[in-house]
Amino acid sequence: MKINSNRITLIYFVILIAVVFLTQKIFTTYSLTNETNLIFTNKEIVIILLSIVLFRYFLYANEKHNKSVLNKLKKSNQDIIESKERYDIVAKATSDTIWDWKIDDDAFIWNKGIQGVFGYKKEDVGKNSNWWFERIHPEDSLKMSVRLYSFLDYKTDKWQDEYRFQCADGSYKYVIDKGFLVKDDKGKIIRMIGAIQDVTKQKEEEQRLRLLETVITKSNDAVMICGIKLNENSLPSIVFVNSAFEDMTGYKTSEAIGMPLDIIFGAKSDSKQIDLLKQKIKEYQICDIETVCYKKDNTLFWINFTMIPVTNKDGEHSHWISVQRDVTELKEKEKEREQLIRELTKNNNDLKQFSYITSHNLRAPLSNLTGLLNLIDDIPIENPDLKELIDGFSTSTHLLNETINDLVKVIIIKDNPAIEKERILIKDIFENVFNQLNFLINLHKPILKIELSEEYISNINKSYLESIFLNLMTNSIKYRSATNQLKITITSKVINEELVISFKDNGIGIDMGRNKDKIFGLYQRFHNHPDSKGLGLYLVKSQVESMGGNISVESKLGKGTTFTLNFKNI
Amino acid sequence: MLRKVICIDDDPITLKLCKKVMERVEFASEINTLQNGEEAIKQFEDYEKIDTKNAPDMVFIDLNMPVMNGWEFLDEYFKREYHKKFKTHFIVLSSTIDPKDVEKSKLYSMVVDFLSKPITKTMLEELKSKY
Repeated sequence: MKINSNRITLIYFVILIAVVFLTQKIFTTYSLTNETNLIFTNKEIVIILLSIVLFRYFLYANEKHNKSVLNKLKKSNQDIIESKERYDIVAKATSDTIWDWKIDDDAFIWNKGIQGVFGYKKEDVGKNSNWWFERIHPEDSLKMSVRLYSFLDYKTDKWQDEYRFQCADGSYKYVIDKGFLVKDDKGKIIRMIGAIQDVTKQKEEEQRLRLLETVITKSNDAVMICGIKLNENSLPSIVFVNSAFEDMTGYKTSEAIGMPLDIIFGAKSDSKQIDLLKQKIKEYQICDIETVCYKKDNTLFWINFTMIPVTNKDGEHSHWISVQRDVTELKEKEKEREQLIRELTKNNNDLKQFSYITSHNLRAPLSNLTGLLNLIDDIPIENPDLKELIDGFSTSTHLLNETINDLVKVIIIKDNPAIEKERILIKDIFENVFNQLNFLINLHKPILKIELSEEYISNINKSYLESIFLNLMTNSIKYRSATNQLKITITSKVINEELVISFKDNGIGIDMGRNKDKIFGLYQRFHNHPDSKGLGLYLVKSQVESMGGNISVESKLGKGTTFTLNFKNI
Repeated sequence: MLRKVICIDDDPITLKLCKKVMERVEFASEINTLQNGEEAIKQFEDYEKIDTKNAPDMVFIDLNMPVMNGWEFLDEYFKREYHKKFKTHFIVLSSTIDPKDVEKSKLYSMVVDFLSKPITKTMLEELKSKY
């Protein structure tokens, strides 16, 4: 700059010299005087020098002024750059999207947020307000525009609204938009500037919390929140209760809040349970107790009370949440049930005793009768009437004896599940059974088809198994068909590690449609047979089950009956 | 044939029956009957005092009796150590159906058998061959 001004000064000096020299030349040429030899007079030189100094001074002053202006400009330029940077950083930090709307021209400018937050490409971003309005959720846009234009009319400075704004991918984000107006000197609105904040996450969290809150407020279980400060009774105070708690205890929210937990406990409450609660509270542990509690009107009720410690986000223990349930009804039922079980057990024992005594008292005279009849057998009776009478007497006595013996067996099986058990080869059982039935077999001569495997069964009571087959066999003979010769098939095989014994006859069968559920019942008789006592199959089932097996039956009237026995213990 | 047998039962018919069956099979030359355990204890007291050899070879005893029942008698007999003094065999003859009774009877060393009423000729013949 200095060099430049020096150069200007030098040029100015040369021009000045040239002008002076030319003027002199002209003057000498056209003048009458002849003073040509003197080119520059002293006077001229002084003027020239003075003029140069003056010129140089003006130049300097001008230069100085320019310099200061330039510096100022430079500084303000720097400020603008910094401020722009700051603005970008702040916009980025708050993740706000800033817009600037020149209302008269309808020119709309967005900052980078519209790209970063909402995903629009730079070239897709619109340049007028329509673009903005079109991206507001249809459900929000009417309300929003009404509020915006009324704001513009009233010309208040600040405006704020919440709406959903569409992203580039078509989804919507919840936003809070805050704007203010820029006016000229005359108060006319020229611009509006706004900042859009994405509050989707907060909004979703808010909705989630509201949902969670309804769980507490609408729950059928009473919910109570307590602080952590304990009173002199080592119990915390209530800070919240839901409506279920109000219903359960009769305390209104306003009456409960601030009160210590003690309000629901009283003289009849289980002090051990409350001590446990205090202990757990001390140790910040989950606690589950059950005790009698008091309602506001002092009525008693049973409560199931769970207390859970909760922590704040720093992991510090901040509250207790308690879920409570009125279990009075349950407790009463439980009490009733226990009472009932006690009574039943007692009744059952009494009945068992009763059955032992009765059967003993029945058996005692009956055994006398049998013994006496045995003695009569040895005495020849001449009188045919007397013989007939004694025969009838004998038959009835023996039937009564059998019945009582069967009943006794049933009582013993039912009362003694732990019978003596051994491991037996099933074949051996049948030998004994056939021996006992020798008379009947010889009398009716059934076709016997017996296919027994060489299998052992363990945990079997031999006399039970004999009694079972004796019963089944006698049944087959008793209820044989009148037309066909009786045929009995007995097979055994192992299926799925179970011993399956099948006992099949071609007798008169049982009407399954009518009697399916009754076959193994007590005192169920299906045929009009004089010997039938209605006990045999009941006894069989009891015996099979007491050895851990089970029995089933299939039958067709006039075709025959098949009993299937399963034993797991091979 | 046994020398001497005693039947203890509160039921006179049972006693009569026992006697009859025993006579039929010629079970013993002397058959005595008693009504309950107390009477039996008194009888054994006499044997102890007068002549231990006079004690019976075999006693049939019922369990369910008034005054002193079969178990009480057996306990008392054991307590007095009569089982060491007399060689008498005891047979429980009962109409009980409680299986625990059979188990219990095995605890007394002098009880050799547990029979179910009524007494029969077969039973007696078997016993005769054993003792």
